Amino acid sequence: MTIHFYFSLVPEALIASMLDPEEFGFYYAVGTSRKTRGQAMFFEVDPAYRNPYFRIDEALARCIPDEDGTPKTSVYISIYRVLEHIDLNALMSLYLTTQDGRTLELQPSPEIPNHEKGLHLYQEIAPVSPLVVSVLSPVEFYELIVRDPSSLVTVPAITFAELDLGELADDPEMGLMDNLPYSNSDHLRECLSQVKTKYISTKMVDRAYVPKLQYRTVKNGFFVGNSSQLKYYPMPSQTELRSENYRWFRSANM
Amino acid sequence: MDFNYSIWLVIGIVGGVLSLGVAIFLYFWVMKQDPGTKAAQEVAGWIREGAAAYLKRLYAALTTLALIISVLIGIVFSLEKGVLGAESGSTSFLPFGVVMALAFITGSLCSAVAGFMGMRVAVEANVRTATAAGKDLAGAFKLSFYAGAVLGLAMVGLAVIGMSVIYMLTHNAQAVLGFSFGASTLALLAKAGGGIYTKTADIAADLVGKVEIGIPEDDPRNPAVVADNVGDNVGDVAGMGADIFDSYVASVVAVMLLGATFGLKERLDPTLYTILPLIICSLGILASLLGIQFVHVKEGGKPGAALNRGTIITCVIFIVMLFGLKLAFPIINTGVVWAAIAGIVVGVIIGFTSDYFTNDSFAPVKETSRVSTSGSAITIITGFSYGLISIIPSVIGIVTATLTAYYIAEANGLPGIYGIGIAAVGMLAISGMIVSADAYGPIVDNARGIAEMAGMGQEVIDRADVLDAAGNTAKAITKGFSISAAALTVLALFAAFSEVMAAHGVNITISLRSPIVVAGVFLGAITPPLFSALTMLAVTNNAFDMIEEIRRQFHAEPGILAGTHKPDYARCVSLAAHGALNSLAIPAFLAVGLPLVVGFVLGPDALGGFLGGAIFTGVIFALLMSNAGGLWDNAKKYIETGKFGGPGSEAHKAAVVGDTVGDPFKDTAGPSLNTLITVMSLVSSLFAPIIAAFHLFS
Repeated sequence: MTIHFYFSLVPEALIASMLDPEEFGFYYAVGTSRKTRGQAMFFEVDPAYRNPYFRIDEALARCIPDEDGTPKTSVYISIYRVLEHIDLNALMSLYLTTQDGRTLELQPSPEIPNHEKGLHLYQEIAPVSPLVVSVLSPVEFYELIVRDPSSLVTVPAITFAELDLGELADDPEMGLMDNLPYSNSDHLRECLSQVKTKYISTKMVDRAYVPKLQYRTVKNGFFVGNSSQLKYYPMPSQTELRSENYRWFRSANM
Repeated sequence: MDFNYSIWLVIGIVGGVLSLGVAIFLYFWVMKQDPGTKAAQEVAGWIREGAAAYLKRLYAALTTLALIISVLIGIVFSLEKGVLGAESGSTSFLPFGVVMALAFITGSLCSAVAGFMGMRVAVEANVRTATAAGKDLAGAFKLSFYAGAVLGLAMVGLAVIGMSVIYMLTHNAQAVLGFSFGASTLALLAKAGGGIYTKTADIAADLVGKVEIGIPEDDPRNPAVVADNVGDNVGDVAGMGADIFDSYVASVVAVMLLGATFGLKERLDPTLYTILPLIICSLGILASLLGIQFVHVKEGGKPGAALNRGTIITCVIFIVMLFGLKLAFPIINTGVVWAAIAGIVVGVIIGFTSDYFTNDSFAPVKETSRVSTSGSAITIITGFSYGLISIIPSVIGIVTATLTAYYIAEANGLPGIYGIGIAAVGMLAISGMIVSADAYGPIVDNARGIAEMAGMGQEVIDRADVLDAAGNTAKAITKGFSISAAALTVLALFAAFSEVMAAHGVNITISLRSPIVVAGVFLGAITPPLFSALTMLAVTNNAFDMIEEIRRQFHAEPGILAGTHKPDYARCVSLAAHGALNSLAIPAFLAVGLPLVVGFVLGPDALGGFLGGAIFTGVIFALLMSNAGGLWDNAKKYIETGKFGGPGSEAHKAAVVGDTVGDPFKDTAGPSLNTLITVMSLVSSLFAPIIAAFHLFS
């Protein structure tokens, strides 16, 4: 059986598994006995990738089928500072799994989205997970938080998604929220107003990661970057998802 | 033109046969349509099997019950020596008790056949509608509406045939009352049982599927998904069909009884005024047959507008026919024509005001959606409050129809109460069209479910969504319509009850200074709330059992959630059916037994008070629960269109709670209450002669 490597973002972990990405997503979301539920986000990692920081070969030796021939679901290689150490060139597709185990594959794109006017909302996913509003574009935000030596608030690598702000991007006070499911909307408006009017480029809206990222709120896609590069995984539009990945779309829009 | 009664009865039968014939023709037309892919047919097959299994159990239970009641009726009315038969000049050679028993069985049978035909076509039309939606909207709409028309036309056809034949054979309105009692008994159990079934499956499927596991609605991995779709049919097709059949027949029989008694008393022609409601129904059938021709949509059109257009045109045709009847036969009192018009106009207005409170184009649904951003408690409070307010226009409509019909009849030399009864008949005369539009709803709902489960593609689902939205509106209108018609019907039945009592030497005096009457009023007033509580508790108890079963299946077979193993749908179908039928004993006793207990123990005056109390709280609870439930449902759907945060938002979570609370309100308890008060009024009228003779208190 083929052994795959997966880099899970929540929790941050490098995992060896005999399951293919869809099976792994399903297993990771609902568990072996289907008694758990929770969405999963993970990259498939190049099987040839090796790094002295990760004891990959030891894990491979343990990744063997069970006595009854059942494929090994997971052997954890590392559960700490994975993003910081992994080579982004080894990251292949990104997989988004819904709470009931439907998985969507996103391919990386060489084209980073252009800077759009207005305010931005970023959900940081790993290694830290606050919700942040900003006047900076995704690339500028990445530069600030990973590569700007003058910045006090930095991480060695980051994965984040830009979320849709709708009318709030231009008019935080009066813009309609309509299809935006964010809780504590007054606080969000206030934070947006502050970054718009004060001399700060970013402001934290929420300290903790939301237990469930509403995939439909992802504006353009997922970004993963470290000091050497930034990779971008564009998210298909809702219309595209509905027509081409209907089952996933339905699960993701509950 | 001369007015030949026998010919009019024959015309009534011919009208009924014509309606039934068109229903049968449409049935075969629907069956000829493309049944779709193998996968779609497989899903439809599960639903069909589940529906058939439920009907088999329901009808087996009802056959036993009907036989027991008919034997009791036969014995009781044979002991009564057929005094009523003698009074109204019965020419039957059979003992009156046997006639009543046979009429009861015939009523049950006709109601069952209409429900069966509706279910049979619905479970065949759903998959064909989904398949047709793959081509265009117009074809899918036509197919689903014509399938709904099978129930509508079969129902009115069988009702008019049954009543006309029984009257023709017996010349006794009391015998038609037996027919009505049979129809109502079956309707009560079909409606309440169907309501319990459908919400048991719906709630259990949602709570485990959506809330615990996180799978979407109509997902084939959910073990309860087939039971949920079966429930749409047993609740909204067979149940609602039987419900309107019951109101339709009861309104006619109430007027027939009044016509027979008032006719004799007021020196009017008793035969004419007894068969007039049958004539009006025949016109209603013809109007419905013509009105149905106007219901069609083009690609990109609005199915809801097409259904409303059909209803309005049918009303207009019916009104023109009433005037035509009056012109052709001047012997027909003008008051009858205007009372019938008052009934139908008010019925349509009430139907559309119900729509105002449940349609997301208007303030109540929008406001309930908006306040959902503050949590489920305020969603419940707001929806419940709008539900309470929604009672007002309907009650004003009922009051308007009552007073208008009463005074128009009086002004034209007819007893006012006869006019009220005619207003109810006028309201229900176009039931062929109303039920056709109503039965369309569950068919397209099922079509959407099949498209989802069979993976028929986005285009099919999009078209099914458009069809489904119109079905929800039709459903809201029908509920308002049927509850209001039932209110007028029971008022007429109440008058008929009083007249039958008076014919047996007991003058009913409803005075709140009488402790016996007050006791009766209070006992009557608590019956609808108690009935509602029992049916809703039945839903929660049965849903609890089904939730355990769904969890068990998910845990026992991991492949179900992975989509590699088919769930045991039949187990959930069986649980829902078993639970629904087992829950009916006490509600059935309340409807049939309690009026008799009150009548025999506390006496006729108390029974009069009992009926009054039950009618008032019954109408109010029915309107409140139907409209509040519909409002919560549509508030959730409105948020799901991307308002107030859309799916997954706090507002959505609160609205989901409101919708779950509203489910048994709108589909179990609410719509069963009009049948409850009709059955109680019929039982009282039927047993009035015996209660007049035997009671403890007077």
